[in-house]
Amino acid sequence: MHTLSARDLREKFASGALKAQEIIDFFLTRIHTHDPKLNAFLAVYDDKARKKAEELDKKRAQGKPLGRLAGVPIAIKDIINIKDEITTCGSKFLTNFKAPFSATIIELLEQEDAILLGKTNMDEFAMGSSTETSAFKKSNNPWNLKCSPGGSSGGSAVAVAARLAPIAFGTDTGGSVRQPASLCGIVGMKPTYGRLSRYGLVALSSSFDCPSPFATNVKDIALIQEITGKYCEKDSNSIPKPADEILNGLSSSLQGVRVGIPYAFINDLEPEYRTSFDRSIELMKERGASVVDVDLSILKYCLATYYVLMTAEASTNLARFDGVRYGVRSEQAKTLDEVYDLSRQEGFGNEVKRRILLGTFVLSSGYQDAYYKKAQKVRRLIMEKYAEAFKICDVIATPTSPFAAFEIGSIKDPLQMYLADIYTIGNNLAGLPGISVPADFTHTGLPIGLQLTGPQLSEPKLLSIAYAFEEASQVSNHIPPGF
Amino acid sequence: MTRFSKETVEHLGRLCRIALSEEQKESICHDLKKILAYMDLLSEVDTDGVKPCTTIAEAITQAPLRDDTVGEMLQRDVFLKNAPQQFAGLVRVPEVMKSGE
Repeated sequence: MHTLSARDLREKFASGALKAQEIIDFFLTRIHTHDPKLNAFLAVYDDKARKKAEELDKKRAQGKPLGRLAGVPIAIKDIINIKDEITTCGSKFLTNFKAPFSATIIELLEQEDAILLGKTNMDEFAMGSSTETSAFKKSNNPWNLKCSPGGSSGGSAVAVAARLAPIAFGTDTGGSVRQPASLCGIVGMKPTYGRLSRYGLVALSSSFDCPSPFATNVKDIALIQEITGKYCEKDSNSIPKPADEILNGLSSSLQGVRVGIPYAFINDLEPEYRTSFDRSIELMKERGASVVDVDLSILKYCLATYYVLMTAEASTNLARFDGVRYGVRSEQAKTLDEVYDLSRQEGFGNEVKRRILLGTFVLSSGYQDAYYKKAQKVRRLIMEKYAEAFKICDVIATPTSPFAAFEIGSIKDPLQMYLADIYTIGNNLAGLPGISVPADFTHTGLPIGLQLTGPQLSEPKLLSIAYAFEEASQVSNHIPPGF
Repeated sequence: MTRFSKETVEHLGRLCRIALSEEQKESICHDLKKILAYMDLLSEVDTDGVKPCTTIAEAITQAPLRDDTVGEMLQRDVFLKNAPQQFAGLVRVPEVMKSGE
């Protein structure tokens, strides 16, 4: 059952071949068997999921119409609010916070009869690329348990890669869904900024955050995009468009598709990854694609631009965690000032403090022009360069990550960790959709992903191209040994 | 190159309201110096006459504000469920000013 796609599970449930309670029993058993060595989950909703499954079985027995995700279990990154459930954001600060309402995407999934399985582990407040900064536990990559699954949505990536759930949601602010998808050998897509509602997410960096799904195959991603990629009036940056139809338009052919590659920018790749990337491009050409070199030399400045703007926004967004209205208030605090200073000192981990201070610095008097305003201008140039590139190509291809999964604890230098996102960050700066599709394996058996990027709102075409590549590479749907 | 020192970190700690330990001040100072040096790359980019980017899907939406009308609100009793301390329907905090002042 764990090898079935979300669409197949829904079919089997709707046809009566499987009961929802059977499905949930199966996946909950898998979670309780495997998660002790994976640490994907922070909370598992045994009772809630079983109750929902029972309701769905009754609904089907009564012949009532069933949602497009009926019977499908879904795991949710613990930065997305589900009403009456705890949202920790991987932080000690929020160990006791119960969400007073559900995020829009949760409501949309529930409207389609999805079954919420629980909350997954993440880097604290989504700051990280390895899921090592979680205050609670480190998640392990099912392809090699000593290795990181990537981050910050590592728990969700592990859940799908180990087939503990066919679908999981994460958030992608600088690559936090695409990079773990690549490191875990699954599909992960960041939509166009504003395409999926941010309402009900705990905000990290408001002009970058995108709720983003993981799945074992491209068609399931397309299904999720059709359900959740639509206008939401509660998100002021929500794109005023109804959902796209995507599944009907998927094609296995790449005839006429122009693939843009920023060869100069990917020059530094280590030989094994370069060879693998070139092989992926050859596969696309075999399906009819043509290749063109695109000038994206400006991407050299992506990391610097991102870490100025993202930390500035994060420092502002995390100012609300002051120990006053919610979260863990310091027991040592004797004055109001100490409520702020001590609650934040005790509640936040080191990476969060580092980024808040950096963000405070680039916004501070005397430095705002040189850093924050400068970065905003560079951001516009980056957007313009992408737009120029898209005049001569339909999609831009790069590796998703400069390396495969690394050993937990092996990257200690913060700057080196930031470099993990070098190929993914451009999408967040320019608001572009990007998808990571499993492409290959290293000689040690670790997954390598290919990233495809399209112009804003190009999800239907982008997903079709990703689908064609997935068919060509025949690497999707490989399950880690032992799972 | 910006002069960034432990005093800068102390100043920032006060601005963003985190009571950093001495050890944290040292280690953050070390890390941020390195990161800021990397960010000096941005000075290479010619941004004369470039308008700062403030809206992302600019061509598609200007992120309009909604009308100033009362809509769905979080109810007080729901909100207070997460308050660390409460009193008479209010969130309770330690004294802001010492009594008698």
